[in-house]
Amino acid sequence: MTTMAAGSNLLVDLLSGPRPAEWDSLREAAELRLAGRDLPTTQEEAWKYTDLKALAAISFGPAPQATVDISAYLLPEMVGTRQVFVNGHHAPHASCASAVPAGVRFLPLSTASEACHALGTVKNGVTPELFEDLNSARFEDGAVILVPKNLKVALPLHLLFLTKADAPIAVFPRVLVVLEPGAELELVEEHHGEGTYLSCPVVEVRVGEGAILRHERVQREAPEAFHIGTLKAEVARHAQYHSRTLSFGARFSRQHPWVRLAEGAEGTLDGLALLDGQQVADTHSFMHHAEPNALSHQLHKCIVDGKARAIFNGQVRVAPGAQGTDAKQQSRNLLLSETARVDTKPQLEIYADDVKCSHGAAVGQLDPEELFYLESRGLNADDARNLLTYGFAADVLQRVPVASVRRALRQLVMARTQAASLGVLA
Amino acid sequence: MLSIKNLTASINGTPVLKGIDLDIKAGEIHAIMGPNGSGKSTLGKVLAGHPAYEVTGGEVLFEGRDLFRMAADERARAGLFMGFQHPIEVPGVSNASFLRLAYNKKAEAEGRDELDPLEFDDFIHEKIKLVAMREEFLDRSLNEGFSGGEKKRNEILQMAVLEPKLAILDELDSGLDIDALRVLGDAVNRLQRADRALLIITHFPRILETIQPDYVHVLSGGRILKSAGKELALELEERGYDWVLEASAAGGAR
Ligand SMILES: Nc1ncnc2c1ncn2[C@@H]1O[C@H](COP(=O)(O)OP(=O)(O)OP(=O)(O)O)[C@@H](O)[C@H]1O
Ligand SMILES: [Mg+2]
Repeated sequence: MTTMAAGSNLLVDLLSGPRPAEWDSLREAAELRLAGRDLPTTQEEAWKYTDLKALAAISFGPAPQATVDISAYLLPEMVGTRQVFVNGHHAPHASCASAVPAGVRFLPLSTASEACHALGTVKNGVTPELFEDLNSARFEDGAVILVPKNLKVALPLHLLFLTKADAPIAVFPRVLVVLEPGAELELVEEHHGEGTYLSCPVVEVRVGEGAILRHERVQREAPEAFHIGTLKAEVARHAQYHSRTLSFGARFSRQHPWVRLAEGAEGTLDGLALLDGQQVADTHSFMHHAEPNALSHQLHKCIVDGKARAIFNGQVRVAPGAQGTDAKQQSRNLLLSETARVDTKPQLEIYADDVKCSHGAAVGQLDPEELFYLESRGLNADDARNLLTYGFAADVLQRVPVASVRRALRQLVMARTQAASLGVLA
Repeated sequence: MLSIKNLTASINGTPVLKGIDLDIKAGEIHAIMGPNGSGKSTLGKVLAGHPAYEVTGGEVLFEGRDLFRMAADERARAGLFMGFQHPIEVPGVSNASFLRLAYNKKAEAEGRDELDPLEFDDFIHEKIKLVAMREEFLDRSLNEGFSGGEKKRNEILQMAVLEPKLAILDELDSGLDIDALRVLGDAVNRLQRADRALLIITHFPRILETIQPDYVHVLSGGRILKSAGKELALELEERGYDWVLEASAAGGAR
């Protein structure tokens, strides 16, 4: 057990700077909740496996404006539908929204004051977590996306958050996505960076009645970075929210996806984490079946090598009266070394009786039957292992809707699973 | 091509194969029939090199080479193929990519040119015609969510791609509808040549009407109790296995 030295300076430092303009009431409320608080310790159940000592030991300064060459991050489907943020600040020259269809608002928060009242209102009935409050208190900028009623947006939208830290800095990207009833959208959110930094994004999502949002989230932070993200999605009646969080980077990452499903809604929270070295990736998810007949689906996969560690805590709550709920959760983990570690725990709270809830957790090595099958077709043992490891991860990528994103992710997974030499990219 | 002498093997310490002798020459088609649990699949898997089975005695020569000195993947590249009774599903790996990889590994081992994705595209289209498989199955993950019959079709597609010298087909016919049985039976026949051989494991004489064997063997209790021509399949269908077992116990079935 480790206890944080009381009064680690992280929060004090981060909150001591000037409060950014606008959203005063949101910021004040957050500051009030943060007053006198300190970083969670491993004595708190939710942080049992994730020690923040390394984070507390670093003193993060405010994030300066910076310029970054973004050519490597451009994706062909989204060259005209991108908003780029560098160190938490909007980068107008790197952004381009020329192909965004009329009626859709896709803007930096700093220029979208109409979003004022909506920000911070996706509450999901849970007290904001410390890092979410930190974001609310200190975010500089971010994106707002508003899709009007019944508009099906053909092109995906690209949100690119880049961090360039010459000295340790903290960034607080903020996103609000609102789909009015019947609207449809694909959104790709990426996080990249270099240097030592703390990134604490908060993404709020409201999917209106019958609307559909597909949300790909790619975390490729720098090897020395910390990434602690919050996602909150409120999904209205018969609406669908499908998200997939792909974690590759950061020495430490933590994801808090929260989804609230109204009657007949559908929610997907898929995840993939590829870890090695000393990396830690922690996902604490919350799927709230608040009303009847909603469907949820979670597939969370981790490949853990070296001395890395993956944590998955999947909370599913079926509220009283949420009859006809269908909730599926799978946590599947592949250990590639003796020193790798996985802690996975489903947490089901079911307060209705006519429900279908299934969950499964598996931690293990590659299946010898699968290995033999590939070997019996002439692949040597190493190739068979690499191909299966690749397949284990690529399984999560199959349904990524944007082709260039899918291709890039497959290539990344191939490189990380030593499968690149197999040349199997379809 | 294949010569098995007094082969014994066990799994988890339990003997399953208790002295198998079998000779398969180029150009021949052999069938093995026998009661459930008699060791048919075990024989196939031992020959293919499944690591769970322990070979406890005997010897097997494949094309003059000691089979048990070759790893499973070497055996495959040397031309041994096993079509499984229960093919494994491999999520995330597309069928087409896997087939190309397997093809190229074998081509490399034989010193032939590997095929790039475009060349392979042409090549595989001929092959899927042979087994009447729909194109969409190439893009799906290997066997994932395939029906029992579709998996069998995919096994024969793999065989068509790899063109093995010796193919062991374990219950190809189980799970196949009538048309699929005919199509795949024809495909296997078209792949058979004077320098290749087949070992068909089955419970039913029907498949042996299409793929006509030169020899039918009865495997029971880990031993081959009787070997005869193809007419034995029908006789077994009519009379069951008891008479073979009894005759064997009396020492006369051979
Ligand atoms: N992994 C295992 N552990 C224990 N026993 C096994 C294992 N695999 C096979 N056996 C046993 O070995 C024996 C032979 O099995 P095998 O699968 O070879 O039979 P088979 O002749 O193919 O039967 P079927 O006609 O039903 O396919 C059976 O009694 C089976 O239970
Ligand atoms: Mg069998």
